[in-house]
Amino acid sequence: MDDLQFRRSLYADPTHIDADMQQVINSDAQKQKFANELNKLEQDITSALTVDVPEGLVDKLILRQTMVSHRQQKRKSRVQLALAASVAFAIGLTMNFFQFSSAYNSLSAHALAHIYHEEGRFQNIANSELTLASLNQKMSTFGGQFNHLIGEIIAADYCRFDGIKSLHLVFKGEHSPITVFVIPHDENLSVTHDFFDDKFQGKTIQYLQSNIVVITEKDEQIAKWQNKIHQNIQWTI
Amino acid sequence: MLFKKVRNKNNHDQVSSSMTTKQIRYEALVKALHTDLYRFAFWLCHEKQVAEDLVQETFLRAWRALDSLKDEKAAKAWLITILRRENARRFERKRFEMSEYEEATIQDKQATSNEQIIENDWLREKIALLPEEYREPLVLQVIGGFSGEEIAELLSLNKNTVMTRLFRARNQLKEAVDQEPNVRGFSNG
Repeated sequence: MDDLQFRRSLYADPTHIDADMQQVINSDAQKQKFANELNKLEQDITSALTVDVPEGLVDKLILRQTMVSHRQQKRKSRVQLALAASVAFAIGLTMNFFQFSSAYNSLSAHALAHIYHEEGRFQNIANSELTLASLNQKMSTFGGQFNHLIGEIIAADYCRFDGIKSLHLVFKGEHSPITVFVIPHDENLSVTHDFFDDKFQGKTIQYLQSNIVVITEKDEQIAKWQNKIHQNIQWTI
Repeated sequence: MLFKKVRNKNNHDQVSSSMTTKQIRYEALVKALHTDLYRFAFWLCHEKQVAEDLVQETFLRAWRALDSLKDEKAAKAWLITILRRENARRFERKRFEMSEYEEATIQDKQATSNEQIIENDWLREKIALLPEEYREPLVLQVIGGFSGEEIAELLSLNKNTVMTRLFRARNQLKEAVDQEPNVRGFSNG
């Protein structure tokens, strides 16, 4: 270890004297003196750097933190409460929406769904027990009546149309039953005048009092039925 | 209702127990390290009040991020890193400032005429006059007890640079001492 290296490492870190350095120090009185000087200097530096710490700094630090975390805690619990309230409110709204909104928002979609639901229930065979009188009795609920029987009736019954009491009529068609719904107005259901899908076609006739929806299979003459209904129906209210 | 009450109570206990743990950790950290941190801050800004503010700000940030401190051994280096960042922010806020070490030393002059104190004051002035880049590693080594490698990491320097700066810092102080033979307690050899 040369002199420069010895001085450099002693200057850089006087407190760490390894075996090599110790040997150099022991072997040379000059270097020993230098090492002692640096040791003294180091003590003075340490003493100078060790400035007094303000009294009560620990307490101040802990106090300040306690105040801040207390504020945070309060804010957090307020936020949590607000969050819980919002979630509850959102759940309420959603429940409300599902409970009171309809599965179908158009008359035609609803009518078609109804038809598919009851598919195969009616044979295309007239039921002779149903007469114009019994039909008109049911129609009176809706404030309407037929002047003549527009066809042979298979079935006539009240049904629920998205929660609205409606009349469900089935007439004998050429090949398959003809379905006629009498549905009081409801603002939640939009009206489509002509509609169809792969199997059925439908028409909606709008009256002041109610809508009448005719649905037939595609090989039936739906326009003829629409006409017949329109010419024979009379509204009393 | 009863169930809810019980559950709330448990939750509350859990939260407050983790809060208590954090509190204990924090207080231990403050007690163990505030002295070193304050001294480091003082030698960074040369003003008692600013140093105190820096330490407060540092510990406050440390409290907020305490969960991210996994290794307790790294706590001191972690705090010093926060403090250095805070100090840099201070300069962003106030770009123009007088050099303040004079004020600090003036305050210290009023201490009693004890030999060691006079000597300390004299040396403190010399230390304050050292270039910042020499003084900072010196304070980290002497006060912080960090090794050359650790200082290098803290200051984002390589180790040789740090060792050179430490050498120059002490060399300049030694020269100052040697040129001032009248200062008591320093033997001029």
